[in-house]
Amino acid sequence: MLLLESNFQLRMKKLYFLVSLLILSIAIFISCSDEDKETNYEPVSPVVVDLTQVPYPKLSDYKFFEGEMKNQIPSLDVLPYEPISQLFTDYAHKKRFVWMPKGTKATYNGDGNVLELPVGAAIIKNFYYENTLPSNATRIIETRIMIRKQNGWIFAEYVWNDEQTEAFLNMDGGFTSVSWTEESGIKTVSNYRIPSEAQCLTCHKFDEKAIPIGIKPQSLNKDFAFSSGMKNQLAKWIEVGYLENNLPSTIETTVNYKDETQPLELRVRSYLDMNCAHCHRDNSHCDYRPMRFAFNETTNRTNLGVCVDTQDMADFPSALSRIVTPGNPNRSMMFYRLDTDNESYMMPLIGRSVIHEEGKELIRQWIESLSPCN
Amino acid sequence: MKKITFLLLFCLAFHSMNAQNTCATAQVIPGPGLYVVTTVDGTQAATPVCTENGAITNNPRAEWYTYTPAQNYTLTISTNISQNTPRIDTRFHVYTGVCGALVCHAGDDDSGENYSSEDSFPVLANTTYYIAFDNRWTANGFTFQVTESAYQEPIGQPVTFTNQSISTIDSQYNIAVVDMNGDFLDDIVGVSSTNIKVHRQNSVVPGFTIFNYPTEAANNMPSWSLAAGDYNKDGFNDLMYGGGNGVTFMKSTANGTGFVKENFTQYVFCQRTNFVDLNNDGNLDAFSCHDVQPNVYFLNNGSGQLTFYQSNVTPGAMLLGIHPNGGNYGSIWIDYDNDGDQDLFIAKCRGGSGTAKINELHRNNGNGTFTDVSSIAGMADPVQTWSSAWADFDNDGDMDALVGASSTADGSHKYMRNNGNGTFTDITAGSGWDTNTSTNIEHIAHDFDNDGFVDVMGGGNKIMYNKGDGTFGPSSVGFGVGAVGDLNNDGFLDVLNGSTIRMNNGNSNKWIKFYLQGIQSNRNGIGARIEIYGAWGKQIRDARSGDGFEYMSSLNVHFGIGQATAIDQVIIRWPSGIVDTIVNPDPNQAILVVEGSTLSVGGNDFTSFSIYPNPAKDIVNIKSGNNFDVVSAEIFDLNGRKVLESAVVNESFSVQSLSTGTYILLAKDSEGTLSTHKLIKQ
Repeated sequence: MLLLESNFQLRMKKLYFLVSLLILSIAIFISCSDEDKETNYEPVSPVVVDLTQVPYPKLSDYKFFEGEMKNQIPSLDVLPYEPISQLFTDYAHKKRFVWMPKGTKATYNGDGNVLELPVGAAIIKNFYYENTLPSNATRIIETRIMIRKQNGWIFAEYVWNDEQTEAFLNMDGGFTSVSWTEESGIKTVSNYRIPSEAQCLTCHKFDEKAIPIGIKPQSLNKDFAFSSGMKNQLAKWIEVGYLENNLPSTIETTVNYKDETQPLELRVRSYLDMNCAHCHRDNSHCDYRPMRFAFNETTNRTNLGVCVDTQDMADFPSALSRIVTPGNPNRSMMFYRLDTDNESYMMPLIGRSVIHEEGKELIRQWIESLSPCN
Repeated sequence: MKKITFLLLFCLAFHSMNAQNTCATAQVIPGPGLYVVTTVDGTQAATPVCTENGAITNNPRAEWYTYTPAQNYTLTISTNISQNTPRIDTRFHVYTGVCGALVCHAGDDDSGENYSSEDSFPVLANTTYYIAFDNRWTANGFTFQVTESAYQEPIGQPVTFTNQSISTIDSQYNIAVVDMNGDFLDDIVGVSSTNIKVHRQNSVVPGFTIFNYPTEAANNMPSWSLAAGDYNKDGFNDLMYGGGNGVTFMKSTANGTGFVKENFTQYVFCQRTNFVDLNNDGNLDAFSCHDVQPNVYFLNNGSGQLTFYQSNVTPGAMLLGIHPNGGNYGSIWIDYDNDGDQDLFIAKCRGGSGTAKINELHRNNGNGTFTDVSSIAGMADPVQTWSSAWADFDNDGDMDALVGASSTADGSHKYMRNNGNGTFTDITAGSGWDTNTSTNIEHIAHDFDNDGFVDVMGGGNKIMYNKGDGTFGPSSVGFGVGAVGDLNNDGFLDVLNGSTIRMNNGNSNKWIKFYLQGIQSNRNGIGARIEIYGAWGKQIRDARSGDGFEYMSSLNVHFGIGQATAIDQVIIRWPSGIVDTIVNPDPNQAILVVEGSTLSVGGNDFTSFSIYPNPAKDIVNIKSGNNFDVVSAEIFDLNGRKVLESAVVNESFSVQSLSTGTYILLAKDSEGTLSTHKLIKQ
């Protein structure tokens, strides 16, 4: 590990030298660069994100991955990351990556706000299932990309072909069916939704302007197994030059909701933050309802909907007249909306077609643990 | 306390443990006091269910009591008492009748603190009541209190409703009440992925007969809304499923004995859907609100084939709500400016500080284009609303609006009076809507008590009755908005909530219904303006498909007329321009109006006005029989198109400009009395 880090520093130094040299070369005359070629052994990231050309028609055009694209091996400077708690998407697995143009970096804007990424940056997220029928192979369904342009973020949605050799730009959305084998048997999602552009924006927005969701310090502040070894993700971003080195010494951090060693309430707050807060926070799609599910707002029980009256009772039994009734999941609208796949009742509003059983059980356990309303 | 202790001892001493496990062995409640239920484990379930939150599907249990007062009382039963600390989540039902044939009398689930129960209701001397506590929420024991107080006459309600549960109403979506077999009687339409289940209203014996129509699997389900209309003009209604990802139509075939699917792959996050003839070519088109993009519609080519358009996206598309981020929830088609075409109001909703939440009003220019008049009209309000209820609430001849709040984050309900000049005035203050704190995603306008003033149903399981004086007052009905229609053909509007019909018990008020059959216009006459004249003055309706947010309610046009005994005149102004007139129809009936059918019948049906000469070459003299001045005349050709409109001065006007032929003259006097005549131009 130490060795790897030193190598990295060495590389950085060399890079700096090269950049200086390049500027110098240009200053003298351009043909100079030919003579420098033999010393240019430093690998260069193949990634191309030309803001005048994106979104490209094919995923391979970006060169985000090396070797066979379906192996999801990131190219140089394409950094994998993973939020501490993850959004549920019909049990799909996800791999996430971030890339920024050389010499640019993100800035910190609070523990609970997304990092401000520089113009030209791209966030890449592959959605895939393992052990899919019939051949037990991994099947990548889609790659969702957000690119930071001069005027803001854009969405680029790529749908993988059956051969798993390429993914093509498609902003219109669609459906696919997927079956896979788990320990418990065969599972099927028959209406896996590939989002349209408008669906991307429904969740990824602040006052109708597109923003990322997952790259908040509170959600990234954990160790991750990089190819170079385990390291805290934020430290890694700083180390590779992707993030300003001015983060506070402590970061209010979420937990993995699956981690049963963590306090129940913390797990629930982390789950709701990642799965619900993009719509239930100020300036979001549904901020006219009383819930506030962002992690930094849920130390307040009322913001979680505990003992708060339901506003939208049309079509619902009167039993659900509170968002959360302590001790009583069956009288809690939150539980009801997690425990259904009827698309006009279910929450989240989009992004799933089946019930997230583990998430539902977490919420049940939490509601049953709550002390009564005053 | 002594008394209570005694009572408790009495109970324990003289009643076996299982005494209250069934209706037949119900424990007698001798009078007021406290009674202890140790556990809810009686084997006979409490049916029917007399209060909220439905039947118990898993292991229903109940504890039974019986009570027979010696004199009339108002009886209170409560578990919201300090003996239950903390409160227990109870539910109880009160019946009259005999075991095996019990009839709901009262009951409560959650009126007390923390879901405990309490209810007060009148009881009559020497009548036996059965009281059953069930295990809907818990089988745990509790104490309940019985209190007798002075008898009070039950407070009168404009109408009451009787619950009628029909277990065969069991489709995935049971959200439509509309005729499906062409007899104009409202049926109950259930939609599942591969089936349409119709509870067809019987024409003679009250009740329903079930018909199942298998369909191809629907790509989109009506999870956000359902609309009905006969867009292939075969005499049978077709269905539009508004789903979260797009629209699927089910089109009737073979005289309504089957359906063929017409699916659209375009992404649409549907909200309210409607059928409406957008370009007034006589072929019904379809419209859907889009939650996150500009709205979409489907134009009918006249062969029942639809083409997809999205406003501001498809080249040449009509502009029917073009906000790039949508926010479109509740579309409703009304003729707000009385120019004979259908305008569009969109109830809008969206979080954040953007503009997608601003409500929109789009004026139909009558030429296939629309103009956004939201601001000029005074309707550009940011209130978070999913639907608005439109009707002529003040019976002054134009459509007013109740814009119903779904959340009060950006203001509450707005009661908007149509000023008759293209603008609206906010008259919420003092109307009863200012003090109504119930929010809802559904707001619908119907005359539930047939008093001649259109009421509104929104949140809070109540009807806001229009008192006819500019104010509305709440009356609790114990159920929420559903699909509305006349499910027993008695002239009073009923509501379908899931598998339960809330059958309106009616009152002595009179009514009239119209079944519309368009010929030149679309088959359903959607977009027709119906006017009825009588002692009340004038009432109007616009025939429409799709109101509120989710449900599909009857396409029949219903009016209440209060205690009036006569209807002087009915005018149906079809979208085609044809005007049908019916004189002096009897109240309390449904009238089938075929477009243009009254144009050829009779000549001078009206004796109150006289016209001469007839045939006429130039000047026509016209005189009102009741000595009021005739002030205006409208002339229609036999296709119903208005060809001349003229003021009447000195009891005469000119028809010189008309071509030779036969026309219909509609005259109005200074009192607003209307009269129609056949007029021949030489």
